[in-house]
Amino acid sequence: MSTNLVLTIALPLLGAFLLPVLMRSSVAIALWSGPAILVYGCWTVAELWLSGFAQPLSIAIGGFAPPLGINLYVDSLALLFAFAVQLLGLVFWPFTLDQESARRQSLMLLLVAASTGLALSGDLFNLYVFYELAAVATFGLASASGSGAAYVATLRYLILSGIGSVLTLFGIALIYSQTGTLNLAHLAQLAPAQLNNSLGLTAFLAILIGIGVKAELFPVNTWVPEIYATASTRLSAFLAGLLSKLALLIILRLLLLIFHQPEAAQVILILGILGVISGELAAWRAKEMKRMLAFSSIGQLGMIFIAMALPDGKGMLAVLALALHHLIIKSGLFMLAEDWGGALERLRGSAKASPLGAVLFVLFSLSLVGMPPLPGFWAKFVLITELAAQVEPLYLLGLTVFLLATVVEASYLFRIAATLYSNPAPDTLSEEIPKSKGLSLATASLFGAGMIAVALLIAPVGDGLQAIAAQAQDVDLYITTVSPAVSGGSQ
Amino acid sequence: MMLTLLDELLLFSGATLLVALFIGRGLAAGWMVTILYGGQLLALLKMAVLGYGGGTIASSLSFEIMGQELSWRFDGLSWFFALITIGSALLSSWFSCGAWERSYIRQGGNIWLFHTAMALNVFTMLILLASGDLLSLFIGWELVSWAGFLLMVLAGGVATSAAMRYITYAMAGGMAIFGGLALIYTASGSLQLEAVTTAVEQMSGAKLWLLVILFGGGFGVKMGLMPFHLWQAPAYAETPGPGSAFLGAISSRMGLFAILLVLVKLFGIVNIESLKLPFTPIDARDLLAWIAVFTIILPTFTAMKQNDARHLLAWHGIGQGGYMLLGVVVADAMGGAGGLLHVFNHATYQAALFMAVTAVIYRTGTSDLNKLGGLVVRMPLSFVVLLIGIIGLAGLPPMNGFVSKWLVYRSLLNQGMPLLFLAAVIGTLGTILSVYKLIHNIFLGQLRVEHEHVSEAPWSMMIPMLILSAIIFVTGLLPGIPLEWVASALQTVGLPVPDHTLGGIESASGSLDMIWVIGVLFAGFGVGALVFYSAGRSKRVHQLDNYAGGHFLSADVRYQYSDNFYAGLMHLIGGWYRGSFLWLERSIRSLVEFLSLGMQGLYRRANAEFYLLTTALFVIAWVVI
Repeated sequence: MSTNLVLTIALPLLGAFLLPVLMRSSVAIALWSGPAILVYGCWTVAELWLSGFAQPLSIAIGGFAPPLGINLYVDSLALLFAFAVQLLGLVFWPFTLDQESARRQSLMLLLVAASTGLALSGDLFNLYVFYELAAVATFGLASASGSGAAYVATLRYLILSGIGSVLTLFGIALIYSQTGTLNLAHLAQLAPAQLNNSLGLTAFLAILIGIGVKAELFPVNTWVPEIYATASTRLSAFLAGLLSKLALLIILRLLLLIFHQPEAAQVILILGILGVISGELAAWRAKEMKRMLAFSSIGQLGMIFIAMALPDGKGMLAVLALALHHLIIKSGLFMLAEDWGGALERLRGSAKASPLGAVLFVLFSLSLVGMPPLPGFWAKFVLITELAAQVEPLYLLGLTVFLLATVVEASYLFRIAATLYSNPAPDTLSEEIPKSKGLSLATASLFGAGMIAVALLIAPVGDGLQAIAAQAQDVDLYITTVSPAVSGGSQ
Repeated sequence: MMLTLLDELLLFSGATLLVALFIGRGLAAGWMVTILYGGQLLALLKMAVLGYGGGTIASSLSFEIMGQELSWRFDGLSWFFALITIGSALLSSWFSCGAWERSYIRQGGNIWLFHTAMALNVFTMLILLASGDLLSLFIGWELVSWAGFLLMVLAGGVATSAAMRYITYAMAGGMAIFGGLALIYTASGSLQLEAVTTAVEQMSGAKLWLLVILFGGGFGVKMGLMPFHLWQAPAYAETPGPGSAFLGAISSRMGLFAILLVLVKLFGIVNIESLKLPFTPIDARDLLAWIAVFTIILPTFTAMKQNDARHLLAWHGIGQGGYMLLGVVVADAMGGAGGLLHVFNHATYQAALFMAVTAVIYRTGTSDLNKLGGLVVRMPLSFVVLLIGIIGLAGLPPMNGFVSKWLVYRSLLNQGMPLLFLAAVIGTLGTILSVYKLIHNIFLGQLRVEHEHVSEAPWSMMIPMLILSAIIFVTGLLPGIPLEWVASALQTVGLPVPDHTLGGIESASGSLDMIWVIGVLFAGFGVGALVFYSAGRSKRVHQLDNYAGGHFLSADVRYQYSDNFYAGLMHLIGGWYRGSFLWLERSIRSLVEFLSLGMQGLYRRANAEFYLLTTALFVIAWVVI
């Protein structure tokens, strides 16, 4: 049954290539095949989870045992993200039917396939391949809105991402030249002896900066505001919500398994702090909702990087909680922003026109600034207790910045809320007031419901995340799962 | 499962919220909610044992989340604050029913939101008061902050910007507390109260200093302590009438409750006193006392310059909070009792004052002190309520404010703190001056032509005002009634309890018996009345049957002296009003604005690749070196 998991990557990939062809013969089949594939993907992952998944497993592709063959590594963390990818792919599915829909849908399937691959791969080279695949799909989707601004933004993103990829490849090459393997489990075994030096550190930093482009790492995130403001909102939501988290996941795995140098954590911490400062402050003056959300997303990702920099995997739970929280909240906020584009001033009086949307906005904002008992509070609580426990002053600086940034965040988010609830300017017609409606409001409500469900079930959710974090942290478990022969070899 | 008394109270309060939320649109909804507040009060009175001696009543509600245990319970301190909360909610809500409600709806107000926000405030405050550990305290704290925001923001317009300012301050305070919470957790490994007390004992001085600053500052924001006081007056004043009565009565006292719980009970005044401020002779406790005193003086004198009755009262609310903190940090039997008693007394007269002003607004449409005057002939009962209220606020006998202020002064003298005493007296002087301005400009002097046909406030508003006035007088005459509850509250936080009688305080260094004081006072009034009535019949003249400066007065000649009140005094002290705190606030705002501009510039640059390569080169160089 577990081999079905390979299909969650293979089927969307196949669908992506067949869809344009199918579209020519039968539009109906083509239209439904994409969602069907994703539903099947969700089902496969959920079934594996529900059938008492406890021990991680490794799936060797093509029957070649790692480290020679390539493998998928499936633990709770990977499964969680694989599930999120399939589900969000479905939620953000480009349902619109027009000339471009075949291209857009197959790109979306490609993105889902690549993202699932990112979540499951147990091999550095494969990660790189899937990463590139995701990038290509993103370029296509980002420019799909067809506006000039979108093309310019995409081009900038393309160049930046391209250089980032080269840098990542350079890092991977360094690792390969040093160890002769790219299998993560194998690398985890070799790392203490061969990568615990300045060469290893250089490799990690190269990969960090390269992949950081997608993870919105400061300062390689300057593409973020432009792309999010110009691309279709559903894509922005997918990118901000999910793809950035998958890039984070790669960095997290590398940190946990291979690179234990304190310097690596230090760089991440500094860049994270700078990300929080720059993102939250820039958002404070943003005049447009999508742009504000983009900046805020940079800030939030900065917070996750701060959590990631905690030594000995202590921040694992915080990273997970913050990442999942941001995934839900930011996706929901972007869906609301879909109908609330343009200058913020235009939104005056929108609460009367769309009460549900306004209430959702307030709820999401409250959770984002960490009001108890909403889930955001618990995520932040986990982070600050871990930060306060550190003695190094840099972590305490991180804590201070984090708290101050939250104040700024509350200030700008509630400025929007106040605008929504204020009376419209006297000369506006009621038709001019933007209204949130239809699919985007429904999607946002879905995320809102998810958030409230998590808030109500916070105790079991917290325990579940703790278990996932503990499992992901266990390096020995990773190694023995992938290559049982060397069990205990890393001690 | 057996419901404890506290469960009943919380359920009742939650039910009130639900009623307001779901059937709050009808006109009878206000009465329904008011009755439910009455029910909450009854549920609270069933726990009256807490107010007379102590013990705790736990809630059966408790959680364990991510290894943190959350629990809720009531003790003497919670009960005392809850009594004031529910009492002021009940009377404010009663005041809002009927006439006021109808006029509010006519002016386009959303009465449903108003009732819901009030019920939410009460509910969250009860949750905060019931907190059984630091985490539930923080949760309650944030809930109260946001509920307060809802009540402040609902009037729209000016109120929105005041509320936005509030929430920024409140968020900053909340984050300071959040940071403090994390530090405590690191030190004690738990957020249960006992564990924290143990951890504090072993804590280094520097760390305790940091915690005192974080918690004191965070809680101080809600109290409006200097220098975090700027937000409070506009935010409270611009809330719809009964809402501002409620907020003014209790809302910022939640800060005092938290200070009592964390700084006094958990950290201990003794530990705080041991923290010396480097290079100065003062310690952390002195620092708190001086902050309290400046909070008394500056806002009180700011109040004197206000030309809007609501703003004037709201500024006084900040100043009176200073007396409470001052009493609590002096922390002897009299000071502690005075500080806590003042919470109760302040709630009663502040609510009465806000209601009286709201009644004036209801009848005349304005609270501008330059557009009123002479209303005593049209609204005599409201005048009496306002008079009783300002006597309480100024701290003069025979009203209750006198007792609590007397206790605070007495404790300052007993503990040998003459400078603080002097400063507190200066504050009282400012209070007396500005409340005279209030009553003069509204009720005394010349009646304006447009108010010729104004009538007394309707009974739906009058009855709660009269009840409050009665409470102000009765607890002034018999301060032993609230002192009993205060004693129980003092016991729970570990402060000494004074010997009290029904009429006041028994103490070796000077007792106070209000029954005697008021007896003598009224005997004096009696003598005066005797002289007055024995002089024969007096003749009633119309207000305009009069002359000034050799001219006969008529209705078109304005002789009401209200603008630039206290011109002579202002000539002396006017130069002291510099608005330094406003300047500070604006500078911080500009700084954020400036930094924000810089950061946007950073992201607007097109040379993203340059950033990437520089960073890459930089980190590689860093590794190599």
